[in-house]
Amino acid sequence: MTEPLVGLEKASVGYGRTPLLTGIDFAVGAGDFLAVVGPNGGGKTTIVRSALGALPLLAGRRTGRRPLRIGYVPQREHVDAIWPLRAGEVALMGRVPGLGPWRRPGPADRAAVRKAMERVGIEDLHDEPYGDLSGGQRQRTLIARALAADPELLVLDEPTNGMDPSAELATMDLLRDLHHNGELAIAMVSHRLEAVANYARTLAFVDKAQSLFRTGGLEEMLQPEALSALYGRAVHVRELEGRKLVYPVERRPEVVR
Amino acid sequence: MSPWQSFLEAREIWQVPLTASVIAGALLGALGVYVVLRRTVFVSAALTQLSTLGLVAALLVEERIHIETEQSGVQLAVAIAVSVAGALVLGAIRFRRLPAEAAVGGVWVVASALVVLGASLLAHAAHDLGGLVFGNAVAVPSSDLVIIAAVAAVCLLVHGFFAKELTFVSFDAETARALGVRVGLWDSLLFLTIGLAIPVTARALGALPVFAFLTLPAAAALLGRAGYRAAFPVAAAIGVVAAGGGYVLSWLWEIPTGATMVAIAGVILLPGAVIRLRG
Repeated sequence: MTEPLVGLEKASVGYGRTPLLTGIDFAVGAGDFLAVVGPNGGGKTTIVRSALGALPLLAGRRTGRRPLRIGYVPQREHVDAIWPLRAGEVALMGRVPGLGPWRRPGPADRAAVRKAMERVGIEDLHDEPYGDLSGGQRQRTLIARALAADPELLVLDEPTNGMDPSAELATMDLLRDLHHNGELAIAMVSHRLEAVANYARTLAFVDKAQSLFRTGGLEEMLQPEALSALYGRAVHVRELEGRKLVYPVERRPEVVR
Repeated sequence: MSPWQSFLEAREIWQVPLTASVIAGALLGALGVYVVLRRTVFVSAALTQLSTLGLVAALLVEERIHIETEQSGVQLAVAIAVSVAGALVLGAIRFRRLPAEAAVGGVWVVASALVVLGASLLAHAAHDLGGLVFGNAVAVPSSDLVIIAAVAAVCLLVHGFFAKELTFVSFDAETARALGVRVGLWDSLLFLTIGLAIPVTARALGALPVFAFLTLPAAAALLGRAGYRAAFPVAAAIGVVAAGGGYVLSWLWEIPTGATMVAIAGVILLPGAVIRLRG
């Protein structure tokens, strides 16, 4: 097996001294497309932040390549649009960690930003105020910022949260293009399985309320047993015009005789 | 002799305090861009009160325990220590089950109460306190001007060299942290400069104008649709106009200096606010 880019072994994650989830084992390798799925507040983001080293582990260890070029896309709502920054200035921040404290961004950094914005289709928005952009355009700006660092691994936290179906599809199509059969490893967090079921190659189901952490290949995780472990009820998967549809099945009341 | 002529003839009296006010206005105006955009306006209010509390504590020690603190340098050192410590704590404070505003508000109100209580215990130095709280821009010693200029130079250097890091961690701390940037360190550096600027300028301008200059010029610049980079010099310029104009007008019209400065900063804010409300 190739060296993972990032991963956890026998890890306990949480805030302070209280573990939210224990015994977590997973790894994201080069070319992977992992989606961490579970309910809101289920511990998905905590696991990802712990794997990236942004949160200290309560037990276990972090694995992966050091140093690793990471591009991180936070939840769009966590980025304050009141700042009077232009989209290009926001994207340029992706170069800051690589520059170090004493160097200023130069022509190479600006060229990388232009290229990243072009890659996500927003090169014409370079000089537009970030706060004036639509939700989808802001999301693309944040993805461009992550790409500007020329990452080996792109990590996204709920990238389609609050989007209408069309924008959600466009964002997921963009991630598929960026992944491009493994050129860029992607790990994303989502509370909507149906949003990622047609794109991810690996799934991780997370729910701290059930002490659930389970990971596997897409087909394995879309089996009824795995899905019912996450949702606590029957969930069906159907294919329609080449796309997987995931939907819960209505519980039928038992007939009392 | 007209008031303007008498003002010009009194140049030796006002040149030091006016220069100190103008530098303070520029410094606080520029720092205020971070204060406003990070939504930490109340932090600056709390720090201003903490700074005043430090001064009251120094005066109390002198009166009650007879430890010599009457030198202004010692009082300022205590105010800086309290303000910087408060800035570092309030800048880093994060409770999982309590909004940061609650902690900041608590510090502000408790510090305000302690200032009032401390002032009530002062027998001889209460007159000093009036100048400390409400400012005494008419009589700023040269030594204070030197300190204000030095702090402004330090802040200029720090913010000039580390603008990209301070902007990144202020705009999106979550991403910065995920990418391995030491957010706590950069936040501390930012609040260190704010914590330094508040006590040294409060001695010249007073607590109320300092709080106002950390808020109004930046708000005016941002309401005027200044871009991010432009917001700093624009806010600094508004601070200069409000501080300088307020000083001169208060002299000519014989009205309170600090309040005049704040009123001018407020007037500058108005057009942008009206335009934004309409549009």
